[in-house]
Amino acid sequence: MPSAAELAIWEGVILLFGFIGVVLWKLVTGGISLEYLLYGDARVRRGAPPSTFFSPGRAQMLMMTVIFAGYYLLQVIQDPTHFPDVPDGVLAVLAGSHAVYLGGKAQSLYLGRARDLIALLNRRTP
Amino acid sequence: MKTDARSSTIEFWASLALAIVVAFIIAIWVPGKPDEKVVYAIEYGALVITFLFGFMVLAAIASGKIDISQLLEEKGSAGGGASMSRFQLLIFTFVVAISLLLIVVDVHDFPKAIPTGVLALLGISATTYAVSKGIQVGSDGADDGDGEDGSTPPQGVVTHTTVVAPPEAGGAVTHTTVVTQPPTA
Repeated sequence: MPSAAELAIWEGVILLFGFIGVVLWKLVTGGISLEYLLYGDARVRRGAPPSTFFSPGRAQMLMMTVIFAGYYLLQVIQDPTHFPDVPDGVLAVLAGSHAVYLGGKAQSLYLGRARDLIALLNRRTP
Repeated sequence: MKTDARSSTIEFWASLALAIVVAFIIAIWVPGKPDEKVVYAIEYGALVITFLFGFMVLAAIASGKIDISQLLEEKGSAGGGASMSRFQLLIFTFVVAISLLLIVVDVHDFPKAIPTGVLALLGISATTYAVSKGIQVGSDGADDGDGEDGSTPPQGVVTHTTVVAPPEAGGAVTHTTVVTQPPTA
């Protein structure tokens, strides 16, 4: 009979990878929609519903997330004895990426897209 | 709906019964001292219950009984698409969970300390989600202050008329509201 510790480990493996597998399967088959993942909302004008546009802030955050997740997993696989430390530089880059995303979101939702703002300023300049 | 609830209840009782059966098998047939056998029975029973409950949830998600189709949905967005913050939180949660599992499998023990970097990582991700929600809700409310949904109120003249019939005629009260639209250009 396997020991309780061995059984617990196998249970953890089956359940965790089962959950990850189900979520991945639903992501791939469209059961969980990823539509408009890289699109943001922008205020167009007073009273009008916001428009949807491709958001570079979201794209860079997705790239940073995937790169960082891969980097961290590789570190754990190479030395699975402890949680690897996250260097301060990497944390700073990640925080900067989030700040860019949040700043872009706030700007587009409160002020409108940068392109529209520049066009408006150019129109008002005599 | 009732059938689903009944089948969930059956699965629940089946897993509980199985755990009790396992505990009894250990208590009766496994050789050893009685105090050790009690510990084994509780350990294996708890493991069986935990696994079967987890497996029930997993099976329900896979079969669609538990709906996770809106797991990444951005509430309140105009397009109603997937939320980047939720997606990132999902990825980081999986990464940390896999890391924890790999460490436990290798060391056969929980890690003694979780580095502050990992906590900061999850904190940044969760904070971004919260701030992003705040921006979304704030922009909905601060659109122009004239409507909850950001739409302009209808223009024109509104006339309310209330007519009360005399008591001998039944005392009926009639309300009429007329909105006159302004001429369109």
